[in-house]
Amino acid sequence: MKKLVWMFSLLLAMPFAAQSAGGPAIELEPAENNLRDQNSLQRGAVLFSNYCMACHSLKYMRYNRIARDIGWSDEEVVAKMAYGMNSVVDDVETRMLPGVGMDVLGTEPPDLSLMARLKGTDYIYTFLRSYYQDGQGKWNNHALEGTSMPNVLEGIERHASSEDYAQAARDISNFLEYVGEPAKMKRMDLGWKVIAFLLVLLLLTYILKKEYWRDIKH
Amino acid sequence: MSHKHSETQASEKQSSLLGWLDRRYPLVSTWNEHVGEYYAPKNFNFWYFFGSLALLVLVNQFITGIWLTMSYKPSAAEAFNSIEYIMRDVEWGWLIRYMHSTGASAFFIVIYLHMMRGLLYGSYKEPRELVWLLGMLLFLVLMAEAFMGYLLPWGQMSYWGAQVIISLFGAIPVIGPDLALWVRGDFVISDVTLNRFFALHVIALPLILIILVFMHIVALHKVGSNNPDGVEIKKYKNESGLPIDGIPFHPYYSVKDSMGAVFFMILFAFVVFYWPEGGGFFIEPPNFEPANPLKTPDHIAPVWYFTPFYAILRAVPDKFLGVVAMGGAIAVLFAMPWLDRCKVKSIRYRGASFKLLLTMFVVSFIALGYLGTQPSTPELTKAAQLFTALYFAFFLILPFTSVNEKTKPIPERVH
Repeated sequence: MKKLVWMFSLLLAMPFAAQSAGGPAIELEPAENNLRDQNSLQRGAVLFSNYCMACHSLKYMRYNRIARDIGWSDEEVVAKMAYGMNSVVDDVETRMLPGVGMDVLGTEPPDLSLMARLKGTDYIYTFLRSYYQDGQGKWNNHALEGTSMPNVLEGIERHASSEDYAQAARDISNFLEYVGEPAKMKRMDLGWKVIAFLLVLLLLTYILKKEYWRDIKH
Repeated sequence: MSHKHSETQASEKQSSLLGWLDRRYPLVSTWNEHVGEYYAPKNFNFWYFFGSLALLVLVNQFITGIWLTMSYKPSAAEAFNSIEYIMRDVEWGWLIRYMHSTGASAFFIVIYLHMMRGLLYGSYKEPRELVWLLGMLLFLVLMAEAFMGYLLPWGQMSYWGAQVIISLFGAIPVIGPDLALWVRGDFVISDVTLNRFFALHVIALPLILIILVFMHIVALHKVGSNNPDGVEIKKYKNESGLPIDGIPFHPYYSVKDSMGAVFFMILFAFVVFYWPEGGGFFIEPPNFEPANPLKTPDHIAPVWYFTPFYAILRAVPDKFLGVVAMGGAIAVLFAMPWLDRCKVKSIRYRGASFKLLLTMFVVSFIALGYLGTQPSTPELTKAAQLFTALYFAFFLILPFTSVNEKTKPIPERVH
């Protein structure tokens, strides 16, 4: 029986085995972002609007959903993220006109709705902080060599303290993690309640089983 | 059995609704045959939970699947967006979707353990060969069902995984390329492939699954359940003709299985609420990027439950022979009842040779499962070849060692 338990645990452990190949060439810095930090999410949303939306969209995200989830009113979200130019029921579109990306950058900047789920927040955090200037004074990035994206946080990097610079990158990563799965906080809040209910049910079914099986002799 | 007959008669004479129904439909007798008076051995252990759990997961997949189809759009242009719509805008859509995606992986965990139980206690042996064969058919259809379901989110891994697997048909001599074209309905995986996979995933294969599950259970109830001691409880009956070591499925195993079901649901809920991506194994991160026929991912890995067979495929240098080996690895399992020629069923009373062979088989299967997730390197390919050889060695050696196996004496009755 011991061997069986061992085999069983191995079989269960199978999906947990280490994996993941490919990925960026450099070691990722932990973003250490916190989805529960509403101030960070709000700062991230404003930073996203100011530094990212010139090129990137969040096409699966609506302004009013963002407002509801990160503690803003409908008026606030329009004022802070859309500068009054969009309605609260609009999706978060880029301010770049179609085709401009191709002309100016040689590529269409990707939609970032699912970037955090695709690459992880550590990647976003590291990517934002890994810019360097090559020999010709052109921007390049250690996390994604040859990227067309310029160092958009350059201003913050130069003028703010290194803590504030790190915090800005962290806030954007945090906001994008939220955008990747808006239901994530809800699911985590609900999960333990479901499990607590099931634990009570387990106790009841266990007692029921014991009661019925009392008359079975082995 | 006279006992059952008289009860059926009695219920038919009743003037109640039950009597009315029973004169027109074998309600009480069917209930008794399969639940109320289905006598199961009293010594089922941990391994015997997985049959009912498989049924539970099947029901989960059906219900969540029906609700997903209400918002999912099976077209190359809309599929990916509709999944995000479900995750964000549909009320409880995220929960339904995670229950379905987690259910797919849970199904294979449960089924692999269920099959392992069969191997441990010789449940495939006479008179249960057909139960095993129907179960293997179920496994085969389940793999097809999972494979087609995996294309539906229309992410990069969905697309390229399907591309790789369908191109395997192309390796078959003469008819291969035309066959692959016929399956896809196009020269690459495309909208038309997605549509037909959707049809097969939501109608054809679930229908076959349900019919096979029904037959699997009917066949089991005809011959009766095996048990960890591998002895037949029908050998010793009391004066009413009921097996002494058997207990009615209901209420004894219905309450025990309910407890098992709740325990399983706790683990399931933990994954759904706190670990839905399953460390990148239940939902692979590259699948959060929409399918792009012009951009091949760096490393295409099938979902974890296919990786043992995928590793066998890659271990064979020739593509066609690799396909044959992969198919053979599944096909050879069908022959288990005839490859194992030992009369003793349970591993408890079997010789060292079987225990050694089975351990080797399980280790090889798990090792292949791991190797199938990894990008192939010369060293890992060597390892995959070794474990592929050991996997098949189990089936090749077993018929010879099992004939004259040094078994222990079998008890007359269950413990």
